[in-house]
Amino acid sequence: MNYIPVTENDKKDMLKQIGVKSVDELLADLKPQIHENTNLGLSKPMSELELLEHMKRLSEKNNLMKYFIGAGSYNHYVPAAVNHLLMRGEFLTGYTPYQAEMNQGTLQAMYEFQSFICLLTGMDIANASMYDGSTALAEAVLLSTSYNRRNGVFVKNGLNPQYKEVLKTYCEGADLEIVNEINENTACVVAQNPDYYGNLENLQYLSDKAHRAGALFVTCVVEPTSLAIVQPPGYYGADIAVGEGQSFGIPINFGGPYLGFLGVKAFLLKKIPGRIAGMTTDSIGRKGFVLTFQAREQHIRRERATSNITTNVELMAIASTIYMALMGRTGLKKVAKLCYSGAHLLQRKLAKMGFALLNDKPFYNEFLVRAPSGSSENVLSNLLKEGILGGLHLDHDNILICCTEMNSLQDIASYASIIKETILSK
Amino acid sequence: MKLIFEYEESISGHVPDASNDDFSNGEVQDFLADLPRDLIRKELPLPNVSEVDVIRHYSNMSRKNFGVDFGFYPLGSCTMKYNPKINEDIARLEGFMQLHPLSHQSCIQGSLQMMWKLEEYFKKITGMDAFSLQPAAGSQGELLGVMIAKAYYKEKKEKRTKIIIPDSAHGTNPATAAMCKFETITVKSDSRGNMDINEFKELLKDDIALVMLTNPNTLGLFEEKVLEISDLAHRNGTLMYCDGANMNALLGITRPSDQGFDLIHLNLHKTFSTPHGGGGPGAGALGVKTHLSDYLPLPRVVRDDKNFAFDYGARKSVGMIRYCYGNFGMLVRAYAYISSWGTDLRRISEHAILNANYLCSLLKEDFELPYNRRCAHEFVLSSRKLGQKSALNIAKRLMDFGFHPPTIYFPLIVPEALMIEPTETESKETLDEFAAALRKIANELKENPGFVKGAPYTRSVQRLDEVIAARRPNLRWNANTGLDGEKGKKIAGIDEREDWRQK
Repeated sequence: MNYIPVTENDKKDMLKQIGVKSVDELLADLKPQIHENTNLGLSKPMSELELLEHMKRLSEKNNLMKYFIGAGSYNHYVPAAVNHLLMRGEFLTGYTPYQAEMNQGTLQAMYEFQSFICLLTGMDIANASMYDGSTALAEAVLLSTSYNRRNGVFVKNGLNPQYKEVLKTYCEGADLEIVNEINENTACVVAQNPDYYGNLENLQYLSDKAHRAGALFVTCVVEPTSLAIVQPPGYYGADIAVGEGQSFGIPINFGGPYLGFLGVKAFLLKKIPGRIAGMTTDSIGRKGFVLTFQAREQHIRRERATSNITTNVELMAIASTIYMALMGRTGLKKVAKLCYSGAHLLQRKLAKMGFALLNDKPFYNEFLVRAPSGSSENVLSNLLKEGILGGLHLDHDNILICCTEMNSLQDIASYASIIKETILSK
Repeated sequence: MKLIFEYEESISGHVPDASNDDFSNGEVQDFLADLPRDLIRKELPLPNVSEVDVIRHYSNMSRKNFGVDFGFYPLGSCTMKYNPKINEDIARLEGFMQLHPLSHQSCIQGSLQMMWKLEEYFKKITGMDAFSLQPAAGSQGELLGVMIAKAYYKEKKEKRTKIIIPDSAHGTNPATAAMCKFETITVKSDSRGNMDINEFKELLKDDIALVMLTNPNTLGLFEEKVLEISDLAHRNGTLMYCDGANMNALLGITRPSDQGFDLIHLNLHKTFSTPHGGGGPGAGALGVKTHLSDYLPLPRVVRDDKNFAFDYGARKSVGMIRYCYGNFGMLVRAYAYISSWGTDLRRISEHAILNANYLCSLLKEDFELPYNRRCAHEFVLSSRKLGQKSALNIAKRLMDFGFHPPTIYFPLIVPEALMIEPTETESKETLDEFAAALRKIANELKENPGFVKGAPYTRSVQRLDEVIAARRPNLRWNANTGLDGEKGKKIAGIDEREDWRQK
């Protein structure tokens, strides 16, 4: 395929204007390093049709399932309008709005996104996105340590294990320590809510404990549809609320691109990593938006920047903004209720079949069970045969199960009946 | 235009899955009643807007934007090339888009194969021995690279605490170094725009962990002494890191491994044409030579005779740097892009270099060319002769001609810098028009500078006040009227008198 519009005639004219005979002459500075094998051993170019066929075949080597699994990626319905708006070249093919007058659309969307995140989490200020939930959390920890110059990080049990891995990697790089007790060297206390096992908790007690030790309290919300019905981080004393926004209008996409969000209390404004849009006026007094507080960022402050983050996931932030606008208060609450109710209904059905229920707190849309008499693996493989990914098999033969509005009453009923057969046939 | 929060209360467009209404009566209602009171949210201060108004709101918002689909976008160092439409369709194929990342290995063979082959492509293009596709953006690839260097020296029990960068480096380089507690040492550029080799030699001591170079550098010039620099670094036990932001100049011509680099990140949203979406998502693969491959993040993609798999074997990995496997949707697009070019990949860079040199030749008489050399895929002009703030004024006025401005005031070593990267996807006709516009503006600046200083005149707003934005921060919607729960609430704690940009 060819996306180069310069013709052979153009090329001749251009070379003449430059004053050289060939493109090779332009590469004189590179001579000692020029690579002999110029086709790089790649395969022959593909036409658009060939490419599409090839990619279709590849995509069909994947098997899609009915998902009863979450663990950081939540299978929600994305209204058609989201994708139609995202596909507009105006949103899709612009760069970061360094030149504000050129990209007022992106900037207003950023401002609306920041507002939505604040309203949802109860925070004062939010940035215009981070790569994903896991890195948003890692950056929140770096933010905490740069605020209070301490280097201990306390992590409450129940953090998504992948998030914990990412956090460890960042901590290793930044010479921080993950510690087992909260004391005068603790920079922050980190807690996920609902946690990895779906447990919901009023974390005020932990927030108090963190603050008594002079540490910041960082909460992480990986399934943010929960915020439509449960109290937000701002309610129970979070100083920083981070999380994953994938649930809001972004497909599960084999793990990315997703949407990290980061909101803080006002006193942390100048420590925030990443882009922030602010409202201002133009030279004749009209309302407009610009990137602001850029003196925190790497392109201005270099080694003293609050983070090295540059590109974020702006398009995903726009997707979630459109999603929240489309769903509204009413739609989001409905989604949350469907998630919550589906999970509780399925849990009750499993309990009746002798599954051990392992959540000791109220839960949202994920819950932990163990199948009777060591049959967890058997149960999951029988579900898989029927095209259902029935949950995540964890240590101690436990299964982490998730429901969203995509799992209808009928889906839940057939899940239960497959399990019934499995147990009966034993 | 108003904010989405300022619409009057309407019927929310989307109440999902009406068929599940059964949930809301009978047994299920009891479940919600079980939720303890102190967990139940009292207010959800979000608007209800109808679907048609949401569509109009965001469609109209988008019209205040400018993208590659609308015109020339020569934003230097950002490689704003055309993003093929077919790649958007491909990334949205159900088998890719609806696949759960924690699916069983037998269900993800297509994705694994794509990732495995993409790593192979990157190895061939860069000459590196192993890749990780996990980093979510170029700067995260850079962070991973520096973490790997840190782990490598820790393992070797060598105490190296410093990183050398040239004064033309991207801001991410020192910012990344700082995140890993390295100190950066800046080497100045010489009269040909290369990193000054003599100063480099003096600074290259046994505490230098890494040399971070962009090649071609941010002046759009090939580092002429890169082989000598690599050699000196290696003999000093120092690793060579390539900031691959400018890889669009090198495809099929030279490989970073040929230049002596041990690590490189690729910005897939630059060189490999994944759309930038107004600021991301990007993707930033990291490639390394064999001696560093054990440090790459887990999982790695591996294959045996029949199947592909994720390998979680421990080795000396620095750990995960992001949830799951990276920005998969962007990887699909990059893979499709490389597949469509195949053995013709070199033409991309040849034409990127041709276009840049052509445009440079049209403009170098009217502006200053601080380093009089052939450029690579981009070039930097100075508008110093046209007065203070002339780069800013030119940028704003260019908007009225239907062009996105170039990058301005970067690299920092060129006063009134205009950093212009045309990319290979622009026609000669477009380049001619752009050059004519720039020349016209240069003329306007001489004849009627006041007029240029008021630009732009044709966008949805005129020049915006960035100082006010920082002095009186308004960073989110605040309802003085409207939704409950947020009435008249101010953002407490921000000192409005302080302009901390001055600090």
